Formats: sequence, structure tokens, C-alpha cells
Amino acid sequence: MKKVLYILSLLVIASLMLTACGGGATPTPAAEEAATEAPAATEAPAAEEPATEAPTAEEPADPNELPRNETLYFNGQQWGPVVGWNPYSNSNNNAMAIAQQDNARVIMFETPYLYNMLDGKQYPLLADGDYTWNDEKTEVTFKIKAAAKWSDGTPVTAEDVAYTWATHVKWPTPTGEANKDYIETIEAKDAQTVVIKAKLGADGKAVNPLLVNAYLSSNYVIQKAWTQTLEARSADVTAFLADPAEDVVYSGPYHKFFADDTKVVYVRDENYWGQDASMWGKLPAPRYLAHTIFKDNAAGTTALQAGEVDVSQQFNSNVQDLWLKDNLPISTYLPEAPYGIGASLPTAFFNPDSYGLDQVAVRKAIAIAVDYPTIIANAMTNQSATFDQVPRSLMNPTAGEQATYDQAAVQDLQWAGNDIEGAKALLDEAGIVDTDGDGWREYNGQKLTYVATCPNGWSDWQAAIEVVAAAGKEIGIDITTNYPEWSVYQTVVTKSDAALPEGYDIFMMWSDGAGPTQPWSRIRRLMSSEYIGMASNWNGNWGKYSNPEADKLIQAIPVESDPAKLKEMYTELVKIYLTDVPSFTLMYRPQAFHTVNESVWTNFPHDGDGTNPPVPPLDLTDGWSIAGLYNLTLVNP
Amino acid sequence: MKQIIQQIFRSGKFIVGFSIFTTILLVVIVYPLLIPDPPLNIIGQGTFFEPGIYVSVFDSISSPQYTLNLDEAAAKRIASKLGEEDRLAIKEWLIASGIPEGEIEIENTEKLLDQWFENYDPAKNIPGMTNAKRNYFIRLNKAITGLLSDEGMSITVKNAETGVLEEKGTIVPSAYVNVNEVPNVRVLPLGTDNFGRDVLTELVAATRVSLQIGFVAGIIATLIGLTLGLLSGYVGGVVDDVIMFITNLFIVIPSFVLLILISFSIGQDQRGAFTIAMVIGFTSWVWTARAVRSQVISLRNRDHVNLSKLSGHSVVHIILTDILPYIASYVVMALILQISSGILAEAGLSILGLGPRTTEVPTLGLMMNWAMIYQAHILGKWWAYFPVIITIALITFSMNLMNTGLDQVFNPALRD
Repeated sequence: MKKVLYILSLLVIASLMLTACGGGATPTPAAEEAATEAPAATEAPAAEEPATEAPTAEEPADPNELPRNETLYFNGQQWGPVVGWNPYSNSNNNAMAIAQQDNARVIMFETPYLYNMLDGKQYPLLADGDYTWNDEKTEVTFKIKAAAKWSDGTPVTAEDVAYTWATHVKWPTPTGEANKDYIETIEAKDAQTVVIKAKLGADGKAVNPLLVNAYLSSNYVIQKAWTQTLEARSADVTAFLADPAEDVVYSGPYHKFFADDTKVVYVRDENYWGQDASMWGKLPAPRYLAHTIFKDNAAGTTALQAGEVDVSQQFNSNVQDLWLKDNLPISTYLPEAPYGIGASLPTAFFNPDSYGLDQVAVRKAIAIAVDYPTIIANAMTNQSATFDQVPRSLMNPTAGEQATYDQAAVQDLQWAGNDIEGAKALLDEAGIVDTDGDGWREYNGQKLTYVATCPNGWSDWQAAIEVVAAAGKEIGIDITTNYPEWSVYQTVVTKSDAALPEGYDIFMMWSDGAGPTQPWSRIRRLMSSEYIGMASNWNGNWGKYSNPEADKLIQAIPVESDPAKLKEMYTELVKIYLTDVPSFTLMYRPQAFHTVNESVWTNFPHDGDGTNPPVPPLDLTDGWSIAGLYNLTLVNP
Repeated sequence: MKQIIQQIFRSGKFIVGFSIFTTILLVVIVYPLLIPDPPLNIIGQGTFFEPGIYVSVFDSISSPQYTLNLDEAAAKRIASKLGEEDRLAIKEWLIASGIPEGEIEIENTEKLLDQWFENYDPAKNIPGMTNAKRNYFIRLNKAITGLLSDEGMSITVKNAETGVLEEKGTIVPSAYVNVNEVPNVRVLPLGTDNFGRDVLTELVAATRVSLQIGFVAGIIATLIGLTLGLLSGYVGGVVDDVIMFITNLFIVIPSFVLLILISFSIGQDQRGAFTIAMVIGFTSWVWTARAVRSQVISLRNRDHVNLSKLSGHSVVHIILTDILPYIASYVVMALILQISSGILAEAGLSILGLGPRTTEVPTLGLMMNWAMIYQAHILGKWWAYFPVIITIALITFSMNLMNTGLDQVFNPALRD
């Protein structure tokens, strides 16, 4: 009897499971049908009567079926789901909307000024006209545009600017921490006028006017009223910064439309204040900005080739093949190599604690033996200017920065690489020779052997590091490569309060790109000893180079205003850098890769496009490059 | 013994597998003797040069010149610069410039080019033209300028003293060089990879390293599996229980996962090719152990084994002389399979970026890894990864064939 019961119950369970499965299975196709039908229904009238489409604009579109002719697609910026919309925090993982940097992303939140990396100038956005320093050089004054409005319709006021700064300081946010040594207060003189008082040094002058200028184009203005609601609901600074801020009030032309772990979509604010004649005079062309979250670069490239991405901010190797071989309507800022404007200097740092690397001769020998043309041709697939075109210094290849130093004065110190004989001579002269005949050189009897490293999976850097290792073999220094995971690499390299562990003798990191404080800030981050001893150093000088003379110059530049003196100081710094070789630049890299597919949209920024001021080749969302969004037109309107 | 070998070589499958395998081995041994270039030498400045014969331009200019009057030469030259699509694009431009469609003959090259040079203006915008298209027209214009000219090109050399260009000679369109007389010609049968390395040279070196990894891994795995299998099968009892307990533990953990974890924890700076081979060997012995054990159990009670026991032979002696010879054929087959799976495991690991360090030796897996990192599969650079896949497939295929051939000879159930 028991057995029968057992079998019966088994049967019952089995039949239940079967019906459960069956029951689940039937509605699914219906749901799918409905889903596939819906977009077809919306598309059909659009095709027949394009004129009626505009009035229906109020209806929210399906985020999976955005109208292609109204959507600008991006890749290379968003690599995971968006976490939040909180402009005070820097961990929103919301790269398209929130990035407070030299070229700040301004689609949702806006900065008073926009930096243009092509001419090095700051153009007013929320601000009205240029900012002015007072005669004593202690404070900056600027006005807010009368037309500037928040998304809730209230005007943007000077009080908002002041309160934003006060909040940054009160809840120590990353922005507040980074700037409080340079900015004393920000005050609202009246509804429109903002006064920034700089921190003053012992001599009564601003500590660093350069960074005060930079603040104006890199940090958002956030609404006071909304900030107060956020403060009211935040128990402590962690809660304040972790708030996802779905209710945030913004002033920019776009805001959240849809976000999940597959994509993020922003929709245009039809009431954006920038339509006012005092700013753009119209709305930006695309109604939606969309960024599909791709698995990796390869997936992003495939989408670009298929025309599913309009603006690509990722490294596409051999980008010229896309138009030369595949005949795709794809182009870059410059039609020929280097295809873009180099702005940052990916750099190999020496660890001076490694045996023998405290010797300038060894450092310089490795640096001059490296085959840079191969790095540029193979690792960067020619998407970098060569060191013959732009001789090495501390400056990026833009004309503005190149003019800041005296090129003729440092000519003897510059090298273009591949100088095997010169490197050998240098080592021989320093007495670092192969004494035991094993083919490798020794310094004081100990063989010179190093590990060159960079994060795993960063393909262009890895290829560059391979070339550095190859150079070592040519000159009798044993260099092998190693690629730790980024999670490990970053914690090791940014720990500046202890000696670097084994395996980090020559390692790659980045340097600053283009910005209003350049080239000063880049030099500071490559050479200044102020970062030594920090437990978590994301600033620079990871090789812990220390030279009091360089430090003095780095401190003096921000307060110097005489161009001739500045040039002299910059030239001196380049001389020190090229003589001491604490690190060496491996290639030039654009601020952002800018490859566009003109299947749907055209009139993207390109060299000689006639825009004035010129629109820089960034992502059409950052700094002055957002001006490009207003110039876009459809290929087939 | 001789009879067994004869028997083996009568199996068609074995012969095919064996000949493929020996061919690969021969190539691996002979190729480096003929072309002694270091396999990791970066020769190409640029990535993924296509397979082909690369002739030094510099040297061909100074090589003896011959005049060949070939009829199709001009047509071929034109076709290489001006394809069908280009002609249509020119037509599009001309129409946009106001030339009536009837006056454009796209097959009449001379007329078409005349019209083009008359009307083309790089600064002009035709409606609906994208920047990509504008760049295309600029390139096209550059490519077809001087296309119809019969005049030669002159070679000039800069005078070191005065800096003035001095003409050294001219090259006419009908001038040819004999490739055999050009001192520098490099054949790259499989082109170059993302670093600019010769893929064929690298592939041969990588095959050798991968075979070595496979052999080391296979021998280690087989040795461990054999020892444990023999012990647990013959000794039985508690020993059997303990060994089988461990073996079963390893069986339920997927060996590849184990392999990934171990390789990751070793760290890349410690991962040489030999270390990887050892790791693979130490994680893939379980099936051999189990199979050997079951074979031994069935042999354990055979008469000759019992007789040996009665004669007072030691356990080691019995295992070595009375049991091992009977399972030797099986062990050889298992070894072959272990070698091929070792090669596959290395490839799998390297694709995940957990393979050996890159600067020292190439391996098949590393070649695939770099090809993937540089998106060769998306950009259509087949020569960077396809030959590697073929090589891996050939090695494992030949080994499996040999294995099946051996099986037919040794397995009584399959013997015909």
C-alpha cells in the first residue's frame, strides 16, 4: 500500500510539473508576438506620413526600438549598468551623463564654461561672457546667463553656484577635496553674479589661479533646492554620495529616458533653455542619445561596422581598413594617420628602487633603444603622431602646448628611438658591461634583469610593452613582460607610500590629456614629488621621482603670468625630464578616439569643417565638443 | 614486438594519423634549420601584413631592368586604381557638377578622367555628401592623377652637399625587374601578426612548444594515473578506497576549472611553458587512473598472476612483469589522448590569457590569444588565427586517428 501511495504521489508531482511547464509555455509566444507587433505598428505610419510624426513625439518610444533617424548611438564609454544620477558622486558609472573633468560631459548637468581642447579657450555655457580676475589676482567674477533654467523651470542663479561649492566642502565630496586647497569660497554677489575667492598664499596671491580657472569648466552647477532635498534625506556623507538621485533637477539638454544592464538612453528636453538666442539658439539635433553596453571592444567594433553605432569612442585597430577595405561610410577627424589629435602621453615609468634603475645611464639607454616607430605602427596601428613629427617633451602634440617651450633648446636631448648603438655606448661609458660573457650586462657584478608590465587585456599597451622588452634584449638588458589583472595592477601602482614589489620595474600608466591647466598639470603629475607617500595615489609620478629643482618650477608656474618667463620655465622642466628620464612617453594618444559612421548622421566634426570656434573631435558630449550635436544633420532627411 | 608493430602498421587509420603527425614533427624539426630567424622577431612595422611575396622597392630600382611590352599592362594598371565602383562615383560627382548624364561614358577612361579633372574640386560640397565620401574623392583623385601618363617617373637623389635633387634615372611603365635578381625578397606565406612577426616562423616554433607542453603534460598525467591505477587496482582494500576517494573528488571538479584556478594563482610571472605543462599534467590524470584500475582488477585474478603470487614474487615485481605488459597497449593509447588533450588545454588556457608568459616562447594558444585581442577574427585577418586552428586540429586529429588505429589492433572486441 505504501508503495502504491508513493508511486501515486510521484505521478501527481510529475503531472503537476508537466502542466506547470505547459501552462507557462502557451502564453509566451503570444507575449512575443505582441512585442514584435508593437514596433511594426509604430513604424508603419512613420514611413507613410513622416509629417505626422512630430506631434506624436509626446508618446514615449520603446527603448528597444528607438527611431533610428532621431537617435545618436555611441560606444566605448559605458561598460556596465548605470548606478545613479547623483552629480555630487563620482561613482555613478554613468559616463555619458556625469563626468566632471577638463572636458566635462554636459548633456545633463552643465558647467559655467566649456573647455575647447583645440584652441585652449573656455567658452561660456551657463555663464554670461568671460570671467575676470580682479587686479590683485585674488578673485574671479562671472555672471550667469539670464536665460539659464533648470528642468523644473526655475532660473539658474549665482546662489546655485555658491551652494554647490558649499555642499562640496560641507559633505567632503571628491570635488571639494580636490579643490579646497585652491578655492576659499564661492559667493553670490547678486542673483546673476558669482565671485570666487581664491585661497591665498603667504604672499597674498592666489595659491593656484590655474586650478581656479579649471574649476569653472570642469565642475557642474547643481540646483540649490534639489541639493537641500538630498541633504535632508541623507544621514551621512556615505548616504549623500550613494544616493541614486533619480529625482535630480538638471539644466542640460538631455535626461534619463531608460537605463538597464543592456543600454542607457537619454532623451532630449524639449524645453531646454539653450534654445535661447543667448546660447545655441536651437535644440541639439538627435532626440535620443543611446549607448548599448557592449561586452568588449570587439563587439563595439562590430556594431560600428554594422552602422549600429554613430560615434565610436574606442580603439579600433587599423581603423583605415574600415573605409579603405570595407568601403564603409566611416571617417575620423583627420583623413590620414594619425587620424586624431594626440592629447595624452601614455608613459612607461621606471621603478628607481629596482636594481640598476637608479642609474640614469640604464634608464636612458632603455628609453633611447625602444623602437617607437614600431610601437606606433603596431600597437597604435598608426593612430599616434610619431616622435619624428612631434619630438618628445612633456607637451602633447596640439599646437598650443607645443608653443609653450623652446624646441631648439632641448633638441640635443630629444630622441626618436631605435638608437641601439647609442644606448650601448651609453652603457659602456657608464661601465655597465657584460663581464661574465652571458650576453647580459651587469652593474657592479649583478645582472640587469627587469620585468616590464601593464594591465592584462589593454591590447595596445601590452603590444607597446612587448616592444620595450624587445629593445632590452638588443642592448643586453634582460627585460621580460608580465600582465597582471587591472584590479591587482591598480592597487600596486597607486600605492606610493611603499616600495613597488618585484615585477614592477618598468610599468605603464597614463598622463593628463588636454585641459585648461595643461601642460602644467601633466608635468606636475609626471614629475612632482608631492605625491610620494600617499597611500592611494591616483595623481601621478608613480615612479616616485624627486627633484627639488623641478618641484620649485612646478610650484612657480601657476602664479607666473609673464609668457617669456613661462616659456623659460617649461623649457627648463623639459630639459630636466629628458636628462633624468624618470619615465618616458611611448606614444601619443587622442583625448578620446573619435570614429564616426555616417550611415544616418553626418556633419560630424572633422579637420577643416569650417566651424568657428573649431569643434574638437571628442564624443560630442564633452566640453566644447557638445557644439557638434547642434551641427549634425541626417544623411537622408 | 616486431609482429605487433607490423600489425599496427597494417591499420589504415593508424598510418594516416601517423603520417600526419610525423609530417608535423618533421616540419617542426627541419623548418628552423632552413629559416633560422628567431620566431618572436618583429619584422613588420604595422599589423597583419597579408600573405604574399614582399619585394624590396629600394632594391628593385637599382636592379637590372628589362622592357616587356605587354598589351594588358596599362589596362591592369588602370583597373587597379579605378574600379567599377570608382567609375560610378565619378559619374555621381560629374552629374552633381552639372554634366548631363548622356555625356558621361563611364567605360571611356580617357574621357571620364578628362571630365573628372576638369570638374573636381576638393573644396566643393555636393549635396548629401558625407565626410567619409569627401575623403574618398580626395583619395580617388590622388590615385588616378597621372594614371594615363606614358611618361616615366624619375628617380632623384638628394645631393648631400648642396641639398639639391639630382635626377639619377627614369622608370618607364614598361620596365620590369626579375624577382630573382632583387637581393631582398621576403616570402611571407602566412603574412605577419599583430606585432609584425612572421606568422609561419612563429607557427612552427609555437607548434614545437605546444607539442613539448603536450608531451610533458601527457607523460606526467599518464605516470600519475598509471601508478595510482596500478596500486589501487592490484593492492585493493584500504589503499584502493583511499585512492579512489581522491580520484572521485577530482572527477567531480571539472579539471579545466581547476586548471584555470591553479594557473591564475601561480601568477603570470611564474608561468613558463614548462610550468603550464606541469599544471595541465597534474590536473588531468584522473580518468587514466580509473581506467587502469578497472583493467588491473580484471587482470588481478588471472592464473599467471596467481602463479606469480604463489612463487613469492614481490608486489612490485608482479605489477611490473605480470600486469603492466598486459595493459601497456592501453596505456600508450591513453598517453596519446593525454598529449592531444594537453595541447588543447594549453590553447584553452592561453585564449583566456592564462597561458605561459608571452615574451619567451610562442605557443599555439598564445598566437590565438593575441589574434583575438587584436580582433583578427572581426577584421578578416584569417592568416593570424586560421593556420593555428588548423594546426591544432591536425595534431589532435592525427593523434586520435593513431589511437583508433591502435585500438583496432589491441582491442579484441574490435579486431576483425
